[in-house]
Amino acid sequence: MTLLIEILSWACILGGSFFTVVSAVGILRFPDFWARLHAASVGDSGGMILLIAGMCLQSGLTLITVKLIAIGIFLFITGPTATHAVANAALVTGWRPTSGEGLEPEENAPYADADPSVHDE
Amino acid sequence: MQHHLILRVITKLLVGMIILFAFYVQFHGDFSPGGGFQAGVIMAVAFILYGLVFGLEKVQGVFPPWIVHKLVALGVLLYAGVGVLNMLLGYEFLHYGSLDPHHMSHGQHTGIIWIEAGVGITVTGVMIAIYYAFAGRPPRLGDDDW
Amino acid sequence: MIETIINVILFAMLVTTAFAIVRTTRLFAVVMLSGVFSLLTAMLFVTLDAVDVAFTEAAVGAGISTVLMLGTIALTTRSTKAPTRSSTMPLVLVVLTGAVLFYGTLDMPNFGDPNAPAQVHLAPHYLTDSIEEIDVPNVVTSILASYRGFDTLGEVAVVFTAGIGVLLILSGLRRRREEEEEDEA
Repeated sequence: MTLLIEILSWACILGGSFFTVVSAVGILRFPDFWARLHAASVGDSGGMILLIAGMCLQSGLTLITVKLIAIGIFLFITGPTATHAVANAALVTGWRPTSGEGLEPEENAPYADADPSVHDE
Repeated sequence: MQHHLILRVITKLLVGMIILFAFYVQFHGDFSPGGGFQAGVIMAVAFILYGLVFGLEKVQGVFPPWIVHKLVALGVLLYAGVGVLNMLLGYEFLHYGSLDPHHMSHGQHTGIIWIEAGVGITVTGVMIAIYYAFAGRPPRLGDDDW
Repeated sequence: MIETIINVILFAMLVTTAFAIVRTTRLFAVVMLSGVFSLLTAMLFVTLDAVDVAFTEAAVGAGISTVLMLGTIALTTRSTKAPTRSSTMPLVLVVLTGAVLFYGTLDMPNFGDPNAPAQVHLAPHYLTDSIEEIDVPNVVTSILASYRGFDTLGEVAVVFTAGIGVLLILSGLRRRREEEEEDEA
């Protein structure tokens, strides 16, 4: 039983570390703002959940697990919100994906009138 | 004002939790890391977050500037007042043991809770007052200049 | 061993962030980087087991001061001005000060040295007797609030004075600007 929990928790921790490293590479290597933001948010949510699950399994049924779950819920709420705020700000400023040149904005969508000619460098 | 819906909902959720955490840090400071300075800053963060998302008028409606300015002084007065009370009870300035002369250590504990409250009140007041002072002035940069 | 590696990595990132702050001209990026700097410092404090200081640093450095600096940018401009004088003299001064500080650390006892003067004089008394004298389990709180209560009163007075000073400066500026606008009109 102990061995099983150890294996599970280390699988979670290694998986979480892998996601975090991958998202860091993605932030550095992806071509434009939107793809980079996507990479960052994947690392934020996916990697964080796995890491915290692994740490919960390590600590067992203690107060530490309760605190870890509270931290997890907190990050689970704030991470995507921060990503949303950044993406929203970029959309309002008029940035559009570089790879979507033929893309027409949706009718009646918010900021459909923003200037699509402004790209990031 | 439709487009900040998510931020608004999440902020409403978080502000309460942050204030609760500030009280925890304030009053649990005797048993775990924490105390007035940290709690004051965390408490101020809750109001600053509310002000950032909902606007200065809303947060000043919740916590008017004149109250904030009074709080800045109230904390220091509370701290020094505990010391003066100790002197009136016949001991040295800030000798909290005098609050309970039969159990000096209990008196110390009571005194620490009061002076930590004073520290927390002053730090909260100063942080929020500085935020109001910065945010209350008309900015030179327009929204498009960023 | 693992702690040394973590310390080396954190310090390397701190130095990198500091250089990035110096080299960047866009003030918005500078503000964000200084938030990163504060978070790294907070992590260093955690590895030193100074959790109190760590979360003060995280809340003040990364939270409030970022907001206040963004507010300052909104009141001024968003990029640095080109320096008007050469920066050789300041560089020499900074290097000299750094060298003196390094020289000063040579005399200091190692981190966590049990024979350091700070550990043999008062610390044992605080650690063994504070529960009986103060009845507070957290020794940091009992030292800060009771043994050094007068010191902490001074700190609160400093926070109070600083707050009043900032308020006075900002409200004075506002009055002056209003007068200027009246003069122009």
